[in-house]
Amino acid sequence: MESTNTRWKGKGFAEIARSNPMSQTLDQLQQALTQQPKTRALLSGQCALLEATPAQADLLNRACLGQPIVTAEKDKQWFELGLEETLYLHHHMKCLPIVCENENPMNDEELWARMKSVTKRFPVLYKAYSHLRSKRWVVRSGSQYGADFVVYRHHPALVHSEYAAIVRSPGCDGTRGGDARLESWPDLQCALRVCGSVAKTLLVLNVECNGCVAEEERFPACLEEYTVEERVIKRWTPEKCRDGSQTVGTNGY
Amino acid sequence: MEHKDWKNVSSSDEESNSDFDLQDMNVEERHQNPYSTLCTSLSKLQFRKDISKAVWCEDVLMAEVIAKKGSIWATTGVVRSSKIYCLIEEIAFLAERGALILVDVRDTVLSLNDIYNKLSDENNGCCWESFEAYRHLKSLGYIVGRHGLPWSLKKDENSGSSVSLKCTLENDEKKPNFDVYPPDSKFKKTSPGNPSFMVYVLRGDLPSKPVVEQLERECSGTLLKFCYVDHGRVSFFSTDKVELPVLL
Repeated sequence: MESTNTRWKGKGFAEIARSNPMSQTLDQLQQALTQQPKTRALLSGQCALLEATPAQADLLNRACLGQPIVTAEKDKQWFELGLEETLYLHHHMKCLPIVCENENPMNDEELWARMKSVTKRFPVLYKAYSHLRSKRWVVRSGSQYGADFVVYRHHPALVHSEYAAIVRSPGCDGTRGGDARLESWPDLQCALRVCGSVAKTLLVLNVECNGCVAEEERFPACLEEYTVEERVIKRWTPEKCRDGSQTVGTNGY
Repeated sequence: MEHKDWKNVSSSDEESNSDFDLQDMNVEERHQNPYSTLCTSLSKLQFRKDISKAVWCEDVLMAEVIAKKGSIWATTGVVRSSKIYCLIEEIAFLAERGALILVDVRDTVLSLNDIYNKLSDENNGCCWESFEAYRHLKSLGYIVGRHGLPWSLKKDENSGSSVSLKCTLENDEKKPNFDVYPPDSKFKKTSPGNPSFMVYVLRGDLPSKPVVEQLERECSGTLLKFCYVDHGRVSFFSTDKVELPVLL
């Protein structure tokens, strides 16, 4: 099942990954978060802050969700969750209540409005994120590689990321203009060049809104309407393929 | 993975301003292997022997420092009528490190959760992303002040508006967030001099050209850095006008 682009970081790591399937970790995390009645995340700016018990912290680390915050607190571990991660835990896994300042609980509508106000691309970014996470891929921010996400087969401590993902939504209103990616040759070549030099494959996720008008998007119904197409873009070099062995393209320049 | 303690408890009481340096912030923690049997839990900052104390004052949206410990106060907090007041980002930074206890007027200790709540309340003049920018620069030893907020005011200058932070809050978001001084300066709150650069924390979309120009005017010659915070990763950018020379 592994692609030729899977690069494990150490000997035996593929085996560790096989014996610790991500689906199992996510199930355990869901339980650990639900079992603690006090668990909630505080939405703050473009992230949510979560005070986790040691057991929850371990599972968040295993699932590679959020970013631990280093503090002097002894028995609690604070985590900073990105907006996609927050909504995934809240909406998809149904295990994380969200509050805003002064501990006021937020309903879905408020949450959706707040997240959309951070970036108008949020609905399609979240669709792409949840699409990959539901398939148990580990998805992290791709800002280091000029992409929306980087995508790992398992925990980043075990394996290098296979894909740099760029999310496009050509059919959706309200997300075009300055936000559109890969619409010019220099931009596409730039993305391919970067991916090639860091040994990742460029994964384009085309999110189709299927007539859901951006202005009227109702959460979560609109997410059901959205569809995601996965497409891999590579440079193909005929010079290297004359023997007929390689026709699918290569990474890099 | 070996981690240095953030603060060696047995060290002398004298603290330098570079106390909070980045190597101890465990930037490389990101991909610590949770499947390793050698895996240690995330290193904690050690509790400090000298803990300062401050009282949150809702009317000025700052905390009055009532017990000063260590030399951190040479570069933290603003001086008003011989008292030191400390801003929410300063409070959160010190509280995360166990160097400050914040209490309310009834002397009840406010938890880190309470402090994060205040930080998220934009009426207090900060937000999570600004705080991360602040924390990043402070961890590198930079001296960071809220933009346009004087480090010290004498009594007579201060009449009427008392401590007043509120005036600085009424900005239209088109002002830099922080004035930053280099780590090695012989910094004095009474004569801070000109900051070496200013920081504008970006939120949401990229700034338009008119916004960039408006910010540059506000900086009146001081270098401006744009800061973008993404999933805990703090990046800085500059966009300085240049004029390439005509070559022979």
